Amino acid sequence: MINFSFDGKAYTAQVGDTLAAALLRNGIGLVGRSFKYHRPRGIMTAGVEEPNALVTVGEGGRAEPNTRATDVFVYEGLVARSQNRWPNLSFDIGSVLGLAAPALSAGFYYKTFFGSAKKWMFYEYFIRKAAGLGNAPTQADPDRFSHRAAFCDVLVVGAGPAGMQAALEAAESGKRVILVEQDNILGASLIRDPQELDAAWIEATAARIRAAGGRILTRTTASGYWEHDLVTLTQRLSEPGQTPDNGVAQRLWHVRAGQVILASGSIERPMAFAHNDRPGVMLSQALRSYVRRFGVVPGKRVVIATNNDDAYKTAQAMKDAGAQIVAVLDARPAPAGANSGHRVYNNAIPLSTKGARHCLKNVSASVDGQTLEWDADLLAVSGGFTPVVHLHMQAGGTLDWNADAQAFVPASSRQNVTTIGGAAEPQPIFKMASAAKPKKSFIDFQNDVTLADVDLAWAEGYRSVEHLKRYTTLGMATDQGKLSNMAALGRLAEKQGVAIPEAGLTTFRPPYTPVTMGLLAGAGAKDAGAHVRRLALYDLHAAKNPIWQPLGYWFRPRAYPTGGETLAQAALREAKAVRNNVGITDVSTLAKFEVSGPDAAAFLEIICATTVSKLAVGRGRYTFMLREDGFVFDDGTVWRLDENRYLLTSSTGGADRMATHISYVRQYLCPHLRVSAVNVQEHYAGIAIAGPTAKAVLTTLIGEEPPRHMSTVPAVIAGVPVIILAASYSGERAFEIYITASDAATVWAACEAEVMKVGGALYGLEAMEFLRIEKGHLVVGGEVDGRMTPHDLALDKMLNKAGGFIGASGLARPALAEAGRRQLVGLEALDGDIPEGSMLIPSEGASPQGHVSAGAFRIIEGGSVALGQLVDGFSRHGEILIASSPTRGQKARVRVVAPHFYDPAGERYRD
Amino acid sequence: MMLIPCPHCGPRAQSEFIYERTVDSVVPLDATSQEAMAKLFTRNNPRGVDDEIWRHTYGCRAWMVLSRHRVTNEISECRAIGPEALP
Amino acid sequence: MTEVTITTLPAAPLHVFEIWNNAVAVAKRFKAAMGFALPATGRSGGNDALRLIRFEPTVWLVEGDISSLGDVLAEDGALTAISGGIVRIRLSGKGWRTLLMEGGVFDAESPDFAAGCSAATIIDHVNVRLHVIDETTCDAYVPLSFSQGLLHFWRQAAGSLVE
Repeated sequence: MINFSFDGKAYTAQVGDTLAAALLRNGIGLVGRSFKYHRPRGIMTAGVEEPNALVTVGEGGRAEPNTRATDVFVYEGLVARSQNRWPNLSFDIGSVLGLAAPALSAGFYYKTFFGSAKKWMFYEYFIRKAAGLGNAPTQADPDRFSHRAAFCDVLVVGAGPAGMQAALEAAESGKRVILVEQDNILGASLIRDPQELDAAWIEATAARIRAAGGRILTRTTASGYWEHDLVTLTQRLSEPGQTPDNGVAQRLWHVRAGQVILASGSIERPMAFAHNDRPGVMLSQALRSYVRRFGVVPGKRVVIATNNDDAYKTAQAMKDAGAQIVAVLDARPAPAGANSGHRVYNNAIPLSTKGARHCLKNVSASVDGQTLEWDADLLAVSGGFTPVVHLHMQAGGTLDWNADAQAFVPASSRQNVTTIGGAAEPQPIFKMASAAKPKKSFIDFQNDVTLADVDLAWAEGYRSVEHLKRYTTLGMATDQGKLSNMAALGRLAEKQGVAIPEAGLTTFRPPYTPVTMGLLAGAGAKDAGAHVRRLALYDLHAAKNPIWQPLGYWFRPRAYPTGGETLAQAALREAKAVRNNVGITDVSTLAKFEVSGPDAAAFLEIICATTVSKLAVGRGRYTFMLREDGFVFDDGTVWRLDENRYLLTSSTGGADRMATHISYVRQYLCPHLRVSAVNVQEHYAGIAIAGPTAKAVLTTLIGEEPPRHMSTVPAVIAGVPVIILAASYSGERAFEIYITASDAATVWAACEAEVMKVGGALYGLEAMEFLRIEKGHLVVGGEVDGRMTPHDLALDKMLNKAGGFIGASGLARPALAEAGRRQLVGLEALDGDIPEGSMLIPSEGASPQGHVSAGAFRIIEGGSVALGQLVDGFSRHGEILIASSPTRGQKARVRVVAPHFYDPAGERYRD
Repeated sequence: MMLIPCPHCGPRAQSEFIYERTVDSVVPLDATSQEAMAKLFTRNNPRGVDDEIWRHTYGCRAWMVLSRHRVTNEISECRAIGPEALP
Repeated sequence: MTEVTITTLPAAPLHVFEIWNNAVAVAKRFKAAMGFALPATGRSGGNDALRLIRFEPTVWLVEGDISSLGDVLAEDGALTAISGGIVRIRLSGKGWRTLLMEGGVFDAESPDFAAGCSAATIIDHVNVRLHVIDETTCDAYVPLSFSQGLLHFWRQAAGSLVE
């Protein structure tokens, strides 16, 4: 006995019950309200195709809305709630919508859109309140979700008799086998129809598959079939809403299979007749499942309507269970086979049902043209069988029409997939005449689409099945039309006067059954969704409690506030320390490549648009790289460490792109070069020390005269070998120290101590930004935005005149030398602060002539300055413009100047 | 997700690879400006097999040319690119 | 079957050994000097003092003392230090294969992926290089910046490997 609750009331279930079985066991027939008309709905199926019995299971962050009661197994303490009703399930205000049904017929939304906006606003309020499924939980899901890869020779989907037999044969022939079953026990159709293969056979076969090394996954649905025989499986390790044993609620498997065998069976079809959606109307095989598998008999007086032989097994099962078979309505004109012993009517087609208080009371049918009625509390229907061809179709397969079964069956596929069992050979059925009362004859139960809606769509000119689907919303609910698509196709074909296969089919898309968002996110469901890249010196920075700045996947200190400073205050203090004394910062994230070999310089002169080969050993230079179309895409520095060894740095944000570019040029374009270009971005941690006293600090640290500007030497700090590059981004005399990352903490500690001893400061990215803007240095992603040529950025004098670099030919296009291009300028505020990202306009209301790429202020003197891009900017120094940001309501008058606000002659670099 | 037959590592998941460009859009180092623009902006784009450059970035880091059918994703050939390597 | 222990190995010298031409001659010189052959792609070779693991067609990852490799390469290739950027993580216990399937795309459960095999792949968005030591040990070479994130991922996953 298991305790659970439904809508706040306590009930008990038997071990192995689905929620649907448990509800039926407790005599609960009304489980939900329909989406559009709020019609009372009960349990129609015993499987994942259930359209009606959608409930919310679980509480808090674990709550799973729209869970099919047929697809959750009851556990101790399960809490389920009905959906789409207010104030409660049996008295639902929304059901008055049902009275207004004609207003909500096919195309209602479309028509309202085309009406006046006022009308839509009016309707929208009610629609949003009334239409809907369960509510998404607002709390975070406390559970984890796993993604796991698996490889096998044979993947078998469906553990019915055909699937188990196939898995057994493959496993015992030595293949790697995975068998998946969406149910929590094996057997599928054998569970309701044991026949000669019984529970003992299932158990023995499973044991043999496992003994041969096969893997059997239950509660696992093959939900997507992708390229090259990749199948995704969704596995429930705990039931919806249940606390998982070891933290993981579900697992998403990515299975790459050599061969896929689909033994996915078929789904029984309902029949279309008036009020066929009433609680108490159930699919025939589902009823048999409840009786035989769960021992639940959900009615005393049953009518069975069928167009095939299979439903007679249900009659037998009900009879065995002690229920009364009121009538078997067989659509076929003559009795089939031997006398079943039941009261069988041939030529019998259900017309309508009546009910009261959400129960079934009465069934009427047309028998040989006459209307007959029966009192009954249960109606089991079997309208035929739809093979589950979803995975076959997702794999890019084609279908054949099986006229005997009135069903599509798998034909060819471009992937290595075969379908066996009931999905390949559905049972023959009799093609029935269509329903007499289309208005209340539902075909899509979940989206409340009736035969009349299909007729209306047709009458309004919707001919293609794809249009029909979107106009009526048929097949677009969470069940994706598992029960409804064939009925709609049949009706459409009838209207078109063609056979069903000529009416066309909609596309089958993954997932086969709904999946939760957390499962798709996997481990990334928590936090950022991707790993944060940590600096080698992370612990040292973290101890100072900085403001962190995300930079791609990296997190870097933005500023180190002390004593309650704001970001701006801290950054200004840090920048002033660099201008007046000395600062230390972490530059480890810069892209770095070590390039060695006799052809290293030649290789670098293909990558870089500047010369490289002229560098003497121990010297370095600024450089930049172009795309093939001639635009600048990155910049950095290049250093000659040794005769045949160079170090190239480039921007942090472009590091991965540059690594790919370098590899492409090396491997694809220049396989003949004798060069090795190794990505050492993470091998070296980098520390920058900048400021007028930086040289003195470094002299103390290395015990000798540091290199002059744009020179490099190897040195030792605190016993650790380092490379010192004398380069400056800040505009002050500065040094970058590169150290094997595992030794970086020792060197940082020594450097920081020395900087602090002379009254210097740590500085972060924000101060660095202030410093470089004031100096007029570029940043990739800011001034270098992919639309600027070297000329636009005033870098053209540095171009390698010999050419031969990537982008040289693209840059030679005449249009790139014409007037009217945006060029790099400096901007000085005449009033207020210059808003970043603002546009540059000559007067109010004029078209923009450029924009502000980065704004800051003079660090010592104060006053807002910025870098920008302005049409023909080089020749417009002195002009007054407006920097306007209408979206932020900010503007400032600015004067166009040269983009160097600080030490334009570069005297502070030199000793 | 495709399965790409890397000439060095054998069949591997597509997520280990990055796509670079089609072979017909490779700009040779000595291209004139007109040739370079033609390569970059005028591509064959067939509805059928095309030769594509991919890199096994998160695997062996090598480059390769895939002959892939653009409709069916069938990969008929995958050949190695780059400096000569020991077997 | 699914137990696995995750430990970080101490920093050690790691180098890139790249051949840009005359590969056959280099291989011959290597064999003569070292007493073992340069391993094929997807394999490792060597001993505790010097081990080469091949993940790339023209590049080997060298673990250990490289002092005699410069002469072997001569003008046909180069050595570059990379140890700072890599954290070595050892996965011990029978469960390492199962652990590597978490967030992975590579068939670490294949019996062909045995002692002396190597593979580079991507695990939970992180590029990882694997080297099988024996049936109960596999070493992973992980980028330093991602190592904390991946360690956290692995430690969490190791606690819930059961199917």
